[in-house]
Amino acid sequence: MLVPIYGFVRGDSIGLVALVHDHQTIDELAAMLQQAASVRVAPRPRAKVYFERRLLDPKLTVGEAGLGLMDRVDVVPEDE
Amino acid sequence: MLHREQWLDLARKLDWEFSYVDEREVFPELASGTPWLPAAAWAGWDEPYRTSYTEYVANQHAKEASLFAVHESVGRVEDYLRLDPSWRSALKLHAATLPLAEFAAVIGNLRAGRFGRDSAWRTTSTLGALDELRHTQIPLLVLHDLVRADPQLDWTHKFFHTNDWVAIAGRHLVDEMLIAADPIEFAVATHFVFETGFTNLQFVGLSAMARAVGDRMFEKMVKSIQTDEARHAQVGLPVLRTLIEHDRVRAQYLVDKWFWRSWLFFSIVTGFAMDYLTPLAARTQSFKDFVAEWILDQFQRSLDELGLERPWYWEQFLAALDTYHHMVYASAYTYRATVWFDLTLPGPDDRAWLAQKYPTTWGMFDPIWERVTERWRAGGPELEWFTHGTTPITFCSLCQLPLCGGTPLHNTARFETRDGRRYPFCSEPCAWIFKSDPERYASHKDVVMRILAGEAPANVLELVHNYFGLDQDLWGKDTARGRYPWLGGGR
Repeated sequence: MLVPIYGFVRGDSIGLVALVHDHQTIDELAAMLQQAASVRVAPRPRAKVYFERRLLDPKLTVGEAGLGLMDRVDVVPEDE
Repeated sequence: MLHREQWLDLARKLDWEFSYVDEREVFPELASGTPWLPAAAWAGWDEPYRTSYTEYVANQHAKEASLFAVHESVGRVEDYLRLDPSWRSALKLHAATLPLAEFAAVIGNLRAGRFGRDSAWRTTSTLGALDELRHTQIPLLVLHDLVRADPQLDWTHKFFHTNDWVAIAGRHLVDEMLIAADPIEFAVATHFVFETGFTNLQFVGLSAMARAVGDRMFEKMVKSIQTDEARHAQVGLPVLRTLIEHDRVRAQYLVDKWFWRSWLFFSIVTGFAMDYLTPLAARTQSFKDFVAEWILDQFQRSLDELGLERPWYWEQFLAALDTYHHMVYASAYTYRATVWFDLTLPGPDDRAWLAQKYPTTWGMFDPIWERVTERWRAGGPELEWFTHGTTPITFCSLCQLPLCGGTPLHNTARFETRDGRRYPFCSEPCAWIFKSDPERYASHKDVVMRILAGEAPANVLELVHNYFGLDQDLWGKDTARGRYPWLGGGR
């Protein structure tokens, strides 16, 4: 199932919508959002994803992480 | 012959008690506004201009003659093409957002011209409707005349008829403020907040900049409009005074609501022009400096005199002065094919100026421009799509503008759930406005909602082409097509 997620990449000026499958991983979601923001923010090799102030395990799928329609995630470089 | 003061009230302030019908039937609350008050409550209504129709016609005739003299002498295509391309973009942004919004204001003024609760109010509003008709026609005439030289100016008329995201946001604002509002809310929102509070920034600030860049036509146009606004904006204060006397809570609510909504609009339209699209040499002050000088002092003084509080989100507003238009401009620049005007890449001198003007926040924005600049260097000029995002951007369920609240380090977007539906908001004040009157706003869909509902295409290129109404010749590009001397590499 496709799930629209509202993503906010640290350092960016705007929020973006990522359409992800619920079986995709949090790592893939982070990569997708970093790529979408790369016009303005250089992608980092590793990034953390937060949902409701909770750090998500990058190996979990979107579904396993409990992300649903139009949830907000924040993508923060690993070294911050 | 009677002196002016002996006949004036017969011409502009003549109310009587109704004997065949009830006052509530003549002025039903739905059309006249909340709270409904008996005529006696409005009897002291007055404003300082006290203009008669004869005087109005004479004054306007003189202003038209003066404006058209300037149009004849410096409003030609060759004059337009002599202007700096970046300033021409500022002009196109204003050209599109101004005239049909003014036409919506005709409707708001005419409603007050019939349903305002005092005859002097109705007289001033009727003249206000004529003013706004003039403000529709002047830019349509002056700027649409230049379409043959610059097709993007076609949006002077077309803009509000499109589904471009800026037009959706613009309609969401003016439909409520100018077309749907009752005369009391219209007076507070439009006359007191929007015109008295904000348009000085537009008219004083931008006309000064127009003069500095040598755009005498725009300077003359906004000055001519400003003299009308200064007169009919006087409707706001006496309406608000009466409202405060009878319903202080509603008065404060309307001021708080419309200050925030007006601020977002002005921040984009005027902030872009003052800090990015006006050539550096012609800038006299930053957008923030202008707001401090022309809005903050005067608006806070008005609130103090009226005994009203500053809006509850005042600290958030002050913080946004340093960030909001920078957030939106950086986003719009990198999605420039979604708008009808070109955007300029700030060069090293611009960025140094912005760092000086916004010392506490510019450090968060400079890396974005460094990144954009590096991509231009790597890709070379004319590679427009190289710098464009292809992922849909997000929008606020209230203001319909992108989720650009806060800073690059902390975006203030928030979400609310109502009847099982998720609503994103750019800021706490937008969420508050929505929640204060959810029935009014809940069914409206922002661009993302339209995409998810299958009403608009998800593919960004298709969205721009088929939904926003922009083709490759027309859509926004970098003003210099990436050919900035400071970029190096012989460009």
